[in-house]
Amino acid sequence: MKTPSATKRVLSLICLIAGLGLLIWSLALDFSKSEASYRGATLIIGIIGIVAGLYFFPTLKYHRTIINILFLFPLLFAFAVTVIIPLFLGIGYSFTDWDGIRVKNVIGLANYTSMFTQPSFLWSIFLTFLFVVCNMIMVNLVAFLLALLCTSKIKGLGFFRAAYFLPNLIGGIVLGYIWQFIFSNVVTKLFNTQYSMIADTGTAFLAVIIVYIWQYAGYIMLIYITGLNTIPGDVLEASGIDGANKLQTLFEIKIPMIAPTITICTFLTLTSAFKQFDVNLALTNGKGSVDIFGNYLTNGTEMLALNIYNTAVIKNNYALGQAKAVLFFIILACVSILQVRISNKKEVEL
Amino acid sequence: MKKKVLSILLAGTMVLSMTACGGSGSTNETADTAASTEETATEETSTEETATESTDSTTSAGAIRLLNGKPEINDQLKELAELYKTETGAEVTIETIGGDTSAGDELKKMYQGDNMPDIFVIEANQAATWDGMLADLAGEEWTEKTGFELVNDSMGTIGFPYTVEATALGYNADILSKAGVDPSTLTSPAAWQAACEAIDAKKDELGLTAVFAWCAEPTNLGWSSGTHVFGQYLDAGLKADDTTYIDMLNDGGTIDETRMKHFAEFIGMMNQYSDKDHLLVDGTYDEQVAGFKEGKFAFITQGNWCVTSPDDVNFEVGFAPYAFEDGMNTIIAGPPSYWVAYKDGNVDAAKAFFNWCAGDSAQNILVNKAGLVSPFDDCQYEATNPFYKSMKSYIDAGNYSGWHTMLKKDGLQNETCQVFADYAKGSIADADEFVSKISSVIKGFYAE
Repeated sequence: MKTPSATKRVLSLICLIAGLGLLIWSLALDFSKSEASYRGATLIIGIIGIVAGLYFFPTLKYHRTIINILFLFPLLFAFAVTVIIPLFLGIGYSFTDWDGIRVKNVIGLANYTSMFTQPSFLWSIFLTFLFVVCNMIMVNLVAFLLALLCTSKIKGLGFFRAAYFLPNLIGGIVLGYIWQFIFSNVVTKLFNTQYSMIADTGTAFLAVIIVYIWQYAGYIMLIYITGLNTIPGDVLEASGIDGANKLQTLFEIKIPMIAPTITICTFLTLTSAFKQFDVNLALTNGKGSVDIFGNYLTNGTEMLALNIYNTAVIKNNYALGQAKAVLFFIILACVSILQVRISNKKEVEL
Repeated sequence: MKKKVLSILLAGTMVLSMTACGGSGSTNETADTAASTEETATEETSTEETATESTDSTTSAGAIRLLNGKPEINDQLKELAELYKTETGAEVTIETIGGDTSAGDELKKMYQGDNMPDIFVIEANQAATWDGMLADLAGEEWTEKTGFELVNDSMGTIGFPYTVEATALGYNADILSKAGVDPSTLTSPAAWQAACEAIDAKKDELGLTAVFAWCAEPTNLGWSSGTHVFGQYLDAGLKADDTTYIDMLNDGGTIDETRMKHFAEFIGMMNQYSDKDHLLVDGTYDEQVAGFKEGKFAFITQGNWCVTSPDDVNFEVGFAPYAFEDGMNTIIAGPPSYWVAYKDGNVDAAKAFFNWCAGDSAQNILVNKAGLVSPFDDCQYEATNPFYKSMKSYIDAGNYSGWHTMLKKDGLQNETCQVFADYAKGSIADADEFVSKISSVIKGFYAE
């Protein structure tokens, strides 16, 4: 390696200083609400200057580190702007009375205490857990059976795989409206019922579950297929020679062999069922009535994510919605960590 | 060699992505407003486009932006802006938000992005959200020509009414005359009961599905039952400026039990004479309106927006009051939403635009092309809306109530609509149960 030349050193320093200067200047223009039309261009040139200056920085020792940071920066920056900063801002907003426009007062924990006095919110939490349990079991069961079907030797395998996966490609909102039509115009005729399933709270909840399974099972099925295909053929062959029947092969060989896949799938279904929003919104919009906790609640099928959305956007209470969202985040984080821990332990035992 | 190409490519992407990050934030490269105006005024106001737009329009005097909440009149408003430009030389950019995104929600994003339009649309109960941020329009020329402007206690005259809408029970005059019912007599529960029985008896003969096209489905039509039909409890029979029941409601969610009981009995009658097998419980807005237009129902629980063109129907239509107590003879009429001027925006240009909008050439477009009903006394154009004649007769006689349902707490309609749905379905058995359920729901909602 050559030692860095003097010209390179000068060039790098000039780039750095000029870049920083331009950057600060254009930011200052921006904050002072200047109308100068060139401030965007100067900002970009400033950033390029800094990057170039860092790139040509005359050092051998830190060159690699600088390059690493430079290349990571865009990703980290985007991650910070879209995830990290909003997360902390959101936590901050949850302690205020923010209405989406301005913050008038900081009200401490009032949002957190008031949300637990809302029977409708407690119902939403309960319903969400119910939905998650139902779905984790049902989606995985259905998906695994479909995967077994799609790894067997039936005709038209490609067609079946594609057909089962297709619903997952349709957005949840569209799916919700399609099924709304099916429930009120097709199912009613088929089973000769007076009303659509969506009109009654209990059956409406069932409807959300059905649509969700229909949408999500194909996706999970694909993962199970991949898992089933990774089982080495010699193991299956050996079990066959030892005289294991089909059920034995399934329970003693296949399922233990794909334990990691099961972990992934339960994790995926768990988190996505928790965050269920679009089908819920489009299919029932949380409507339905329940008599519970000594109250007559009108959000019979409203799950947590939708409850948060309605609190913030429809009821115009952004801060309370934000507080609920923080709680939602905590619940989700706890459940996910717990679940991964438990599943990992099981894998080791196997 | 390969490595070098790869590294150059990577470096290129990195630089590009960085410039993209830096560029979208605050750049202002479109210097020429006029050229970009047309493009930015599309239905989907992408944030980036509007970001470049905003800084421009605030500088050039006279150029203003209007955020419209009615997608159905987007084209007509653009035409209006064109005309405004040719007549006065001033620039107005129309941005439309609608469908499933509410303008109120979008405005919050615009406010956070420091990208507020100079004129935007609000509903009456949103005034509090914008407290102190709206310009007082008192004393403007147009305020003398209308009684429909929005007046706020703390901010003064803030809302410009651009249209008047009315809601009550829309009727099909052909069917009523064939059934021998005179709509002008429908001002008491007894008269309604008799009329329903008369029409119901001739149902097959007249080819009707049911008497009422009334849909209490809560998921998609909650706004209809929860806001409009519920609004009849608040306003039916009252003068336009009478706020007795909305004041009670907003005072912690109190309801007048006797009035609610009568209202519930009326709704019960509507449920009884509705299409219980389908429309009432799990129908859609489209089915409801289509059925009415085809003459399959005698009444519809919507407003003048459901039939907008004379070509839509081959019969006369009109409004009958929700007369759930004797002598109630009013329909709800007034502006459901208003245009307001943002205080930190270009207020003078906005005021000029409002004055021009109240004038003849603008009213021509708004009334004749957009199909709106003019709130201005001196407007010479007859609205094309088939309901207009009936609306006008009520307004001229002073028999109209206000849209006070728009002043209830945000989101209440989502709760009450479920009670209407349960009542329609039969899981709420009678009027008494309806009253107790709806009062507990409202109380609970206001306590939140």
